[in-house]
Amino acid sequence: MYFKKITLCLGLLTGLLFSCKKLDQLNPSYPTVETYYQTSAQLVGGTNSIYVSFHAGFLVGREWFYLNDLRSDEFAAGGGQLEVVRAQLLNGSALPSNTQMSTVWNGLYILIHRANSIISNAAKVQDNPALRDRCVAEAKCLRGWAYYNLVTLWGGVPIRLSPVDNIADYLPRSSTDKVYAQIIADLTEAATVLPASYTGADLGRVTKGAAQAILGKVYIQKGDYALAKAEFEKLSTSGLYALTDNYSDNFDEEHEFNRESVMEAIYFDKGDRKYDASFTGDGAATAQTTLRNQEYNPLSWRNLIPSDKYLNEFENTATGSAKTDPRLAASVYLTGDKYDSGNTAITDADQNGSASIINGKTIKAGWRKYNLIYKQAKAVATKTYYGGINQRVIRYGDIILLLAECENELGNTVSAVRYLNQIRSRPSVSMPVYPTANFPVNNKSDIIKALVHERMVELGAEEVRNFDLLRWRKKGYFSTDPLPYFRVNRDELLPIPQDEIANNPSIGAGDVVAQNPGY
Amino acid sequence: MNFIKVYKSFILSTTKHARMPLAIAAFLIAFLCYPQLLKAEDIKKVKVNAHFGNATVESALQQLQSRCGYVFTYNAELLPKKKTITASFNNQPLSEVLDFVLKNTGLSYTEKNKYILILPVPSKSADKVQNKITGTVKDTTGAPLPNVTVFIKGKSGVTTTNKDGWFSIPANAGDQLVFTMVGFLRKEITVGNQTVIDLLLSEVKSSLGEVVVVGYGSQKRTSLTGAVSSVSAELINALPVPNVAQALQGRVAGLNVINNGGPGAAPIIQIRGISSINGSSSPFYVIDGVPAGNLANFDNADIQNVEVLKDASAAAIYGSRATNGVILITTRKGTNSKLKIELNSFTGIEETHKRVDLLNTSQYLLYERALNGNAGIGLPPRLQPASFNLPIYTGATQTFAETNTDWQDAYFKSGLLTRQNISLSGGNEFSKFYSSAGYFKQDGVVQGLGYQRGNFRINSEHRISKGVTFGENLYLVYSRQRSEGSTGTRSKLVNVVRSLPYLPVYDPTTNGGYRGAENSVDGSDPTNPLEDAVLLGDNNNNTSRLFGSAYLNFQFTSWLSFRSTFGLDHSEVTIHGFSPVYDDKGRSASVATISDQKNNNDTFLYTQQLNLNKTIGLHHINFTAVYETQDGKSSNVVSSGNQATNLIQTFAGATNINLVSAKERSFLVSYVGRLNYELADKYLLSAAIRRDGYSAWAPGHKFATFPSASIGWRINEENFMKHIQAISELKLRAGFGITGLASVGNYAWQALVNENASTYPFNNTLTVGNATYYNQLGNKELEWEKTKQLNIGIDLGLLRNKFTLSAEYYKRQTNNLILQVPTPMSFGLNKVGVFANVGSMYNSGFDFQLGYHEHGGKFKYDITGIISTVRNKVLALNSNNAILDAGADANFGSGFAITRTQAGQPIQSFYGFVTDGIFQSQEQVNQSPVQVIGKTAPGDIKFKDLNNDGVINSDDRTFLGSNLPKFNYSLNFSASYRNFDSSIFLQGVHGNKIYNAARVIEEGMTRLYNAGTAVLNAWTPTNTNTDIPRAISGDPNQNSRTSDRWLESGSFLRFKNLTLGYNIPKSSLSTFLHGSITNLRVYVASQNLLTITSYKGWDPEIGYSNGSLTSGVDYGQYPSARSFSIGLQVGL
Repeated sequence: MYFKKITLCLGLLTGLLFSCKKLDQLNPSYPTVETYYQTSAQLVGGTNSIYVSFHAGFLVGREWFYLNDLRSDEFAAGGGQLEVVRAQLLNGSALPSNTQMSTVWNGLYILIHRANSIISNAAKVQDNPALRDRCVAEAKCLRGWAYYNLVTLWGGVPIRLSPVDNIADYLPRSSTDKVYAQIIADLTEAATVLPASYTGADLGRVTKGAAQAILGKVYIQKGDYALAKAEFEKLSTSGLYALTDNYSDNFDEEHEFNRESVMEAIYFDKGDRKYDASFTGDGAATAQTTLRNQEYNPLSWRNLIPSDKYLNEFENTATGSAKTDPRLAASVYLTGDKYDSGNTAITDADQNGSASIINGKTIKAGWRKYNLIYKQAKAVATKTYYGGINQRVIRYGDIILLLAECENELGNTVSAVRYLNQIRSRPSVSMPVYPTANFPVNNKSDIIKALVHERMVELGAEEVRNFDLLRWRKKGYFSTDPLPYFRVNRDELLPIPQDEIANNPSIGAGDVVAQNPGY
Repeated sequence: MNFIKVYKSFILSTTKHARMPLAIAAFLIAFLCYPQLLKAEDIKKVKVNAHFGNATVESALQQLQSRCGYVFTYNAELLPKKKTITASFNNQPLSEVLDFVLKNTGLSYTEKNKYILILPVPSKSADKVQNKITGTVKDTTGAPLPNVTVFIKGKSGVTTTNKDGWFSIPANAGDQLVFTMVGFLRKEITVGNQTVIDLLLSEVKSSLGEVVVVGYGSQKRTSLTGAVSSVSAELINALPVPNVAQALQGRVAGLNVINNGGPGAAPIIQIRGISSINGSSSPFYVIDGVPAGNLANFDNADIQNVEVLKDASAAAIYGSRATNGVILITTRKGTNSKLKIELNSFTGIEETHKRVDLLNTSQYLLYERALNGNAGIGLPPRLQPASFNLPIYTGATQTFAETNTDWQDAYFKSGLLTRQNISLSGGNEFSKFYSSAGYFKQDGVVQGLGYQRGNFRINSEHRISKGVTFGENLYLVYSRQRSEGSTGTRSKLVNVVRSLPYLPVYDPTTNGGYRGAENSVDGSDPTNPLEDAVLLGDNNNNTSRLFGSAYLNFQFTSWLSFRSTFGLDHSEVTIHGFSPVYDDKGRSASVATISDQKNNNDTFLYTQQLNLNKTIGLHHINFTAVYETQDGKSSNVVSSGNQATNLIQTFAGATNINLVSAKERSFLVSYVGRLNYELADKYLLSAAIRRDGYSAWAPGHKFATFPSASIGWRINEENFMKHIQAISELKLRAGFGITGLASVGNYAWQALVNENASTYPFNNTLTVGNATYYNQLGNKELEWEKTKQLNIGIDLGLLRNKFTLSAEYYKRQTNNLILQVPTPMSFGLNKVGVFANVGSMYNSGFDFQLGYHEHGGKFKYDITGIISTVRNKVLALNSNNAILDAGADANFGSGFAITRTQAGQPIQSFYGFVTDGIFQSQEQVNQSPVQVIGKTAPGDIKFKDLNNDGVINSDDRTFLGSNLPKFNYSLNFSASYRNFDSSIFLQGVHGNKIYNAARVIEEGMTRLYNAGTAVLNAWTPTNTNTDIPRAISGDPNQNSRTSDRWLESGSFLRFKNLTLGYNIPKSSLSTFLHGSITNLRVYVASQNLLTITSYKGWDPEIGYSNGSLTSGVDYGQYPSARSFSIGLQVGL
C-alpha cells in the first residue's frame, strides 16, 4: 500500500522537475539594445528621442536657458524667490557642486548618448537608406549643437562618439581644439545630408540651415570669421530665411516656424498645466510644456527679471534718442503695460519682488518674450502655467547680426553696417539707421559698439549674450568686464561638475587637467 | 501499521485539549519514539534504550520520556532526591525500565491514553474520606483539559480528568489538591467546605518541551543550534497595532522595526542591521510555509506564533533569500474539541503627541521684514496695509490681518483605530478547522489618509485515510488605503510649516474651496497642505489578496514522511487617482486628471518534501530533503487621462489618454538538504545546504549553493552539571553559513530599450510615444550577494527556567555587494548606475534577551529585557575612493548631499560641514577662512576650515555621525494579580543621530515662507547672544547648508504600551450568563503614551522617505501616533 503512495509522490516530484527552461526569462516588455535599432522605423524612434532631450527640462525646457541667462548681464534676480543654486551662478559663486550647472552638462551628454546610439547602429539598417542617412545627419547636427554648448561653457570635455557599452569605458577631457574639430566634422557632414526644409509631420527636425548656422556659430566662437561668414551666407542666400515684419512674431505661439526661425524647440500644451517633472522629457505621457513661461512670468514666479543695464540699453526718447526702440515694449512688461491682449494693465502689486530703475525711474519690470500672458486674462495669467510657445533656439535675426560681426572683423565695414541696418529696418522696429548720434559707425571699433548694442536690444533673453560675452571678452571688446564678479582665469569657464570628477576616474588623464582653473 | 493507528489516536487525543505548540511537541515526541509501538496499551512491548549514569529519578524519567511516545506526569516533590541510578538498558521493555527506576521509591506507574502517571503506591491505611470533590479543569481559553493529574498532597488519593475536564476525588477539608499536567503550570488548592472546585490551568511559558517552527519543519527549542526567537500570539496581540511588524517592535533582540508612514504603510524591518546597499533590508517572510513577499494586510489575530530566524545556520535553509533573516508566521489551526468562538475587539483613538512652534501672523510680519529687508527686497504686495486689511475673500468680514491660521491644527486630527476579529474553531479526529473574520480601520492622525481592511481565513486539516492527511490554509483580504502618494521631499508637513498664517485654509469663493498662496502677491508659494491631502490627494489603493496553500502529507512509517505543498499568493492592486479641476488663486488646473493603475501579482509555489526522523540508540537523526519551485508573474497597467469637468471620473470621453503596461516573470528552483543530528541529547549538529537557480541572472550565473552548519552543546545534560539544581538549562551553540540576497530586479543583467516611451511633438502635433531611448548598461556577470555569517550563542536557564538569558554574538560580511556603480554624467545615461557585485560590508553585534518569570502564587509577573547592538562598516565600494552621496536637495541643505557612504564608515553616515559659532563682527569675518567670497557678513555662521586651506569649500565636509543606534532596547513587564492583569512595554533606541531636515525648513531662512519661532531669535547687531544666524533672504553665506547644525540626537525611550486588563470572574460569568461565556476580559491600553527624547521634530522614529541611503533624515514624516483604546476578549 505504500508503493502507491510512493508512486504518487514520485509522480508529483517528476512532474515538476523538468522546468529549468523557465530559468531563461527575457523581459517581455522591452527589447534589448542588442536586438533593437534594426529598422529605419526604429532608427527614427531613436532619433526622435534626441529631440526629446533637446527640449526637456534639463535643456531648452528649463536649465539650458537658465544657465545661459544666469551668466549674462541681461538678467537680475526677481527677488528672494530665486533658488540658491541659480543665485550662485548669477553672482559668480557657483562651485563644482552646483546642480543647476551640472544638470545642463548631464542633459547635453544624454542628448549625445542618444545621438551616438543612432550614429553607431545605423549601419545595421538597410530598409530605407535615405531615411537612415537623414537620421544620422540629424543625430550629428544635434550632437554638434550639444558639443558646441559643452566646449563653449566648459572648455575641453570628453568626446564620446559611440554609446558606452562597458562600465569601465571612461573618457578623459580632450582639448578644446579636438572638441571643435569634432563639432565641425559632425556639422559639415550633417549639412550635406540634411534637407533644406521639412513639411507636415516632420516639421521641427533640424535642417541644413540649422547645421550651417551652428557651424557658423562654432567658427565665429573660434575666431574664424571668414569660415563663419561663409556658413552664415549659405543661409542668407538660400532664399529660405527672412526677418519677420513683426518682431514679436518670434516669441509668440501664433507664428511658430516662421521664416525667421532657423532652429526651434517645440513645446505643446495639453491643457493639463503640467510640466516635465522628471526634466528628462521621458515618459510617453510626459507634459510637453516649457517651464520658461512660469520661471520668468512677471505675474508668477518672476525668478529672473531684466537687468537695469539691459533696460537702459534701449534707445529712449527719455534719454535723448530720436525714437524709443519698440523692441523694449516687445521684450519686457513695465508696470502700466497692457497684457491680456491689451485689456489689462500690469500693476506693481501684481509683481512680487524687486523693482528696476529705468532712466533713473524706479519701476517694476518683467520679461515679455516667450510669455503667454500677452494673451491671457489676469485670472489665468497669475496662476501656475507652463506654456507651449516654441523656443526659437536660433533665429535668422541672430545670423544677420553675426554676419555683421564677421564683416566688421574681416574689415568690410560697409557690409557690416548694412547688416545692422537690416535689423533696425524691420517694419515693426524701424529704428533710425546707423549712424545715429549715439552710434557713429566710422570705423571698426565704432561698429563694434553699435553691434554690441544692437545684439543686446535685438536678442535680449534669447540665450546668446553668454556666448557673445565669451567671444567678445577674448577679442578685448570690453574695457570693464560686463560681469561685476568676473575674475580672470576663472569665470571664463564653468567648473567641471563635481559629480563627473567623482565618477569618472579618467577625467583628468587626457589633454586637459580634471578641473578648470580657479575652482 | 498498528502503530499508525496508535500514533493517530495519540495525536488526536493530545490535540483535543492542547494548543498547537503542544500538539507539535507531542508530534515530535512521537517521532522520537524508537522502536515501533505495537500497542499503546501495552507498555511492556515498547522497547527503549536508556543509559543512566548517576541519574536522579527525575532525570531518568525525563530521559525515558524523550525516548518514547509517552508523556510522563508526576509530582516532582514525591520523587526521591537522593536516589541515583546507574544502569544501561538496550532494547528493554519500557515497563521493565520503569520498574527498575521506581524501585524502592514508594511510587508506581499506570499507563493511560499515552500518558504514564507516576503515583504513590496507594496506602493501605487511607484516611477516611468524608467528602467527594468534583470539578472541571479548563485551559485559559476555556477549553476543557483532559488527563490532568489530580492528587492530594502527602496522601494517596489520585485521579485524572476525563475528556470533558471533569474529575472526582475523595478529599477532606484541609487537604491540598494538586493539579498537574505537562505543559501547564501546577496549581494547588486547599479544600475548604466546598464540594465543587473549578479551575483554570495556564500554559507554561518557555517550557523545556517548547517546539519552534524552523524552515521546512519544527524543532524542540532545546535542540536548536541557530539564532531563533519566538514571539507568541499573546505578545503579538497584546498591542493594538495594525500590523505584524509593529507588533514585533521591541520583542526580539536584533530585530529593528521603524514606523514609516501613514495608515496601511509598511514599517521598515531589519534583522541585525543593514545587509545590502542596493537591496532592501527587509527579511524574507514565510507564512505557513509559503513565501509571502510582504506582510501587508495581514490580520494579527490569526497568528499562532512568529519565529524570527536571525543567523545563517537558522536561515540558510532559505538560501538565496536568507541574508536579511527570515520571519516565519504560523497561523492558528483547529483543535480536536467542541466549537470554540472567540471575539477579539478593540477600539481607540489616535492623535499626534507633539507640535512644533511656528510663527503666527504678527510674528510672521516681523520675520518677513527681517528676512527680506536685510536682502533689500520690498514688502510683498499682500503685506502692504492696503491689501493686508482687505477681507480674506469676497464676502468675508475677516481680513488677512485678522487671520491667524494654525496649520498644524488644521492638518493634524484625531483618528479612529479599531479592530474586530471573530474566530470559530474546533474539530474531531477526522477534520479540524479554524476560521476567522476580521475588520480593521485606521483613520490616521493627518488629513487625507486612511486605511481599512476586511479579511477572512479558513485553515483546515482532514484525515483522508491511514497516514494521509490533506490540509489547506486560505486567507482572503480586501483593503482600501488612501495614501499620501509620492511627494518627494516636499512633504505635506513641509508645507504645513511653510504655509502663511494670514491665509485661510478654506475659501468658499474658489473652485474646490481651498485657498493657496499667490507668489506674485504673497512673495511666497507654499502649497496648501490640506488641499494637497484632501482635494488633490485622492489616491485610493485597493488591494485584494488571496493567500493560501494546500498540502498532502503521507506518513509512511513512524520515521518517514512526505509532504507535497502547493502555495498561491495572488494579489490585485488597483490605484485610482483623481485630481479635479480647481483654482485656489495660487494654483489651478483647467482639466481634471484621472490616473488608474492596476497591478497583478501571482506567485505559485510547489514544495516536495521528504522527512526522515529516527533515533538509534543515543543517536537522533532528522533529515529533510526538499525540491521546490517558485514561479512569480506580475503585470502592471498604468493609465492616465484628462476630463474637462469633475463630473466624470473615468476615461469615458477623456482626452490625452495614455496607457503603459508591463509584465514580468521570475522563476526560482531549489534543492534543499538538511541534517540535524543529536547525540545523547547533549551534542547537537545541524548542517544544511540549498542550491538555488534563479531566472534573474544571465545564463551561466543562474545557480549558486548556500551551505551552513552549526553545533550545540547542552552542558546541563552532562553528568557533572546534573547535580547543580539551580541550572535548568545551559547551552552553547555556534553556527556559520552563507546566505544570499537578490537585490536587483528580474532583468537587471539586460540592457533594455524603452521603446516608444517618449514623445516629441513634431509639427506642433502630439504623437504620443514616437521616441525610443535607452539609458542603461546590462551586466551579465551579476549574481546573488553572498553573506558569510557567524553566530555564537549561549542559553541559560536558572531555577526551573524562572530566570532565562540568551546572549548572542554575530558577525556577517558580504563581499560581493551589488552596487549601482554610478556612471559619470558623460556616459549620457542620466547617471543611471550599472549594477555590479563590487562592494563589501560588515555587520557585527550582540543580542541579549533576559527574562524573569514568576508564575507561582497569586501575583504573577514576567520581566523581559532586550538589548541589541549593531556595528556597521562599509569595507569597500567599487573603487578605493568611491563614494555614494545621497540626499542632495536645495531645500534641505543648499544642495549639498546629506549622507555619504564610503569605505571605512558605517553605511550612509551623515556628512557635512562643521559649524564654529556665529561671526560677531566684520573683523572676525576678515580674519577667518573665506566662507563665501563677498557674501559673508556678521551674523553668518562660521564654518570650520577642516583642511586648513583658507577657503571653505566642499572639501571641508566631514563625517558627522550615523543614523544607526548604538543599541536598541526594550523592557516588557507584565503582571497579573487575581483577575487583574497589566503590562508595561518600554522601547528605545540610543546613540543615533537624526538629520532634522524639517528644521531646515523651520529655521533655514533661505527665502520667504512661514517658519519656526526660532527665527525670531535670529542674530542682529543688537541680538548677538544667539545660535540662530542673521535672517537674510537668499542665504548668501549658505548658513542652511548641510552641517552639524541640523543633526540632533535621535535617542528616545518610549512607553510603547501600557495595558490594564480585568478578567470577569468565572463565578460572575456563570451567575449572570449561565456559563454561556467561558471567559471575558476587558482592557484599556495606550500606545506611545509618553516619549522621552531631546529630539526637536514631531517624532524621533524616523524611517526613510526619499529613496535609499537617506534613512534617519526627517523630511517631515508621518509621526508615530499616541493612541488610547479599550478592548474586549470573549470566549464562548
